Amino acid sequence: MNAPRQLLRIQCIGCIARFLGAHLQTPGSQHNYGQLPRPFHCSAVCSMSRPSQTQLEKTVKDETLNKDKGLVTHDDLFERAARDSKTKADFNRVMDVFSKKDIRRRGHVEFIYAALKKMPEFGVERDITVYNKLLDVFPKEVLMPRNFIQRMFNHYPRQQECGVQLLEQMENYGIMPNVQTKVLLAQIFGEKSHPMRKYQRIMYWFPKFKHANPFPIPHVLPSDPVELARFGLTRIADDLDAKITIYQYPSTDITETGEEVMRPHIIGIQSPNQRSLLAKHNPCRPVFVEGPFPLWLRKTCVHYYLLKADPIPSEEKVEEEFDPEMIGPEQSLFYPQRLELDLERDMGDDFSFDVDDVEEGLVYAMCMAGQGDQVTLSQWISGLQETCPILGQIPTVFRLESGPRELQTTSDAQQTPEQEVETDQIIEEEPLHSQRVKQ
Amino acid sequence: MNLNKLIVLSRSVKLGRNVFAARGACLHHFQSRRFIRSSARSLAYAKDLFLGKVNKAEVFPYPEISHEELEEINQLVQPVEKFFNEDVDSMKIDHEAVIPPETLNGLKELGLFGIQIPEEYGGLGLSNTMYARLGEITSLDGAIAVTLAAHQAIGLKGILIAGNDDQKAKYLPKLATGEHIAAFCLTEPGSGSDAASIQTRATLTEDAKHFLLNGTKFWISNGGWADIMTVFARTEVVDKDGQRKDKITAFIVERAFGGVTSGKPEDKLGIRGSNTCEITFEDTKVPIENVIGEVGGGFKVAMNILNNGRFSMGSAGAGLIKRLIELTSEYACTRKQFSRSLSEFGMIQDKFATMTLNVFVMESMAYLTAGMMDRPGVPDCSLEAAMVKVFSSEGSWICVSEALQVLGGLGFTKNYPYERYLRDCRILQIFEGTNEILRMYIALTGMQYAGKILTGKIKEMKKGNVGVVFEILGKKLKDSVVRTVDFGLTGKDGVVHPSLTESARMFEQNAAHFGSTVESLLYRYGKTIVEEQLVLKKVADVLINLYAMTAVLSRTSRSISIGLRNHDHEVLLTNTFCKDAHFKNNFLLTQLQKNSPENNDANIKKIAQEVLAKRAYVCSHPLDRTF
Repeated sequence: MNAPRQLLRIQCIGCIARFLGAHLQTPGSQHNYGQLPRPFHCSAVCSMSRPSQTQLEKTVKDETLNKDKGLVTHDDLFERAARDSKTKADFNRVMDVFSKKDIRRRGHVEFIYAALKKMPEFGVERDITVYNKLLDVFPKEVLMPRNFIQRMFNHYPRQQECGVQLLEQMENYGIMPNVQTKVLLAQIFGEKSHPMRKYQRIMYWFPKFKHANPFPIPHVLPSDPVELARFGLTRIADDLDAKITIYQYPSTDITETGEEVMRPHIIGIQSPNQRSLLAKHNPCRPVFVEGPFPLWLRKTCVHYYLLKADPIPSEEKVEEEFDPEMIGPEQSLFYPQRLELDLERDMGDDFSFDVDDVEEGLVYAMCMAGQGDQVTLSQWISGLQETCPILGQIPTVFRLESGPRELQTTSDAQQTPEQEVETDQIIEEEPLHSQRVKQ
Repeated sequence: MNLNKLIVLSRSVKLGRNVFAARGACLHHFQSRRFIRSSARSLAYAKDLFLGKVNKAEVFPYPEISHEELEEINQLVQPVEKFFNEDVDSMKIDHEAVIPPETLNGLKELGLFGIQIPEEYGGLGLSNTMYARLGEITSLDGAIAVTLAAHQAIGLKGILIAGNDDQKAKYLPKLATGEHIAAFCLTEPGSGSDAASIQTRATLTEDAKHFLLNGTKFWISNGGWADIMTVFARTEVVDKDGQRKDKITAFIVERAFGGVTSGKPEDKLGIRGSNTCEITFEDTKVPIENVIGEVGGGFKVAMNILNNGRFSMGSAGAGLIKRLIELTSEYACTRKQFSRSLSEFGMIQDKFATMTLNVFVMESMAYLTAGMMDRPGVPDCSLEAAMVKVFSSEGSWICVSEALQVLGGLGFTKNYPYERYLRDCRILQIFEGTNEILRMYIALTGMQYAGKILTGKIKEMKKGNVGVVFEILGKKLKDSVVRTVDFGLTGKDGVVHPSLTESARMFEQNAAHFGSTVESLLYRYGKTIVEEQLVLKKVADVLINLYAMTAVLSRTSRSISIGLRNHDHEVLLTNTFCKDAHFKNNFLLTQLQKNSPENNDANIKKIAQEVLAKRAYVCSHPLDRTF
């Protein structure tokens, strides 16, 4: 990487320049580093030129020729470039065209503002190289203060403001400037300019906050719904033992009549603790399938469903009894797990908070499915039955929330699965419809 | 809160020093002569330390054996030593992971399979003390030591201590000769060190004459070749209220009963020659006569067996390290480095001092405990035995490692026995209750004992009762005025020899400080102290140090008094150890104070919790960067 080296050199040159007089031509010495001779106002970083005989260039030429004809905004330049496609290459081309059009880079501030505005459209708002290239549009050296008075006052305020704006956009998108950015800023505005300060502040805070989120989400989420569901479920279920089960892969079957039947994906998660709790569930009390609940992963929203039960009423709670012989103070086989003392913890050593405990129902499992209708979800339940056979005896109530709330009970435990499905389908029309609307 | 204020207050009050001094001096001059009791004793030395009491009658003078016993044991020791030196090829046993039958036969001929079985049943009928003495020699081969221990220290101990005469007559003679080998089956796959979750079940058959045994037992030493097994299983018992309950019952199970299968022997790090495997019982028919004790009383049997088995680890460790000292000192004195022999280097000398101190303390503790257990009555020595086990298992590990270090690279090779000893020795910290569990046991049992007695006082204190407050105030005042605590170990009518006065004073200071620390811990935590494992660990460590100090003080006092050979060396060792232990205790007790800056427990817990939440090391790599 020769960028840091260059930075160093700039600093050295700055020192020498102070001795030799402000107007010494410095770039000559830069060329010694095995770089091709290049025009004065271009940086070494992004000087890749590209032969382009496009429509765009012609329009630009027209523009420059017919300058007096009217004011053509730089927005227009991008609009025209983006007529057929909006890619990084197109964006780069526009920048190249602008840079080459005029050695004096007239209107570069306006151009940069326009470019910043258009970046998201071209999908380059997270690309550090594009920002650097955009920064490269600024003319080098000429904006640098050359004496203490200039340095004291806001030298070239519009340009500096524009530079700050560029950095701020980077900041907003969470893009960390790199060494190239620093080199460019030093070349353009000098060491103690406002954009440089901005850069330094970003570089102070960004690394500190980079890992502030203990549950990071990747910028690019998996496109496969199965993978996405897997990611979402493991994110909610904060238990490293929890096991993901794929009950059904998404597929499309073509029936004999030529109809396409979509089979949605069903991915569930359950931890061993949940499984053992479910095994202890009182079969007389129903379990509920509830949902859909939204989960936002950056800009994507996925929905999940819960299998839960009402809180256990206090009269049904069975305190596990322990044999006092085995855990009491008399036991010496291993060690006493309980002391028979009439002494509580002293207040001065009691650091526990007084929290009002709210009894919540137990959540036995979670799933994400391609479709939120009862048929799909009862497939999930029957899949769960393989590991938790007790589910076969527990009445399952679907409380799918969408549109008007409806409560359907497959009240009878003895009901056969076919019957269940039948009744489900009848009742399920409304939620199914609204579910589709949602998606 | 009240208490702390009181302490501050009492410290600031320094008046009347002279008045109290005179009274304090005469307070502690009570008689210290041991009185002889024939009934079961209720006194327990280690437990009383929790109350800040030194029950010196229990531990002074150091227990002795009679001339006849001494002669007998010396006669026994010689052939056993000869056998282990000449006929046991430990390297081969370790390599092939099996003890050859001729070696086993030799052991049987020496009677080593029935050391503690009474003579009427064909055993040697030796006391705990003499058993410990033999343990010193058998420990020269870890595999044999473990095989023998699994056979008689736990395997047949159930029959010995809780069996009825018929059971004894039926099983002990064959076990004593080694014709039958015993095993102890308690641990289960699901339970590990938590015996309460035993799943093996014994159900009574319809004719009520047999139990059907079903279940699997893990990590059974001698499991592959045992003929007689002490098995613990759940049985249904109807208790007083007429409710059916699961209780644990101990059974004598013969392999010949059928339905017993043992798995493949485990391939282990150390004690490779011993046989450890899984045993499965499938509808094994056990006649009801084979229940040890009563049905549902198995838990007590298991406790007694394990409590009594642990003390011998002290002498075993000592025997092993004594041998290692001989081997390594030979090397250190002959090997030349930088034109000096190794023995001239301070750091090498340090290692030998460490080993010597450790052996000395282990030995003292082991024989003191064995002597206490041999006294008439049913002494409660479980705490002491556990302390011996913890101290000696950790001491052995350190010493073997130091011995290996003396030899450097040579010690690391298989040409020398050190690496084998190191591997063998590691198990000591794990079996018969891991050291962690034993520390919990030591601390909690003492806390329970002290708590029962102190509860009333602490409650009054919390209420702010004026009388109690003044009483405590007075006591603190007295403590601050009479500078040294005096349990009457030294001085006129003291039990410790005058040349150990300083060490005895250190011990007394620690003991008194320990008593008040226990009280403040009970005040602070009450019964929730069960959850404060890091506190309990420190409590256990202090107690172990105190017991070790007692043991060496008692032993050396006796040695000086009767003029044993090299007793001046013992004095040196005792003073060195006591000084060391004193400062360690001071540090630990300081850590146990409230808001002590030395205490790092909160941080330690937090580190572990953060790592365990992620189940991985959480730090970023030092080479990582963010920009």
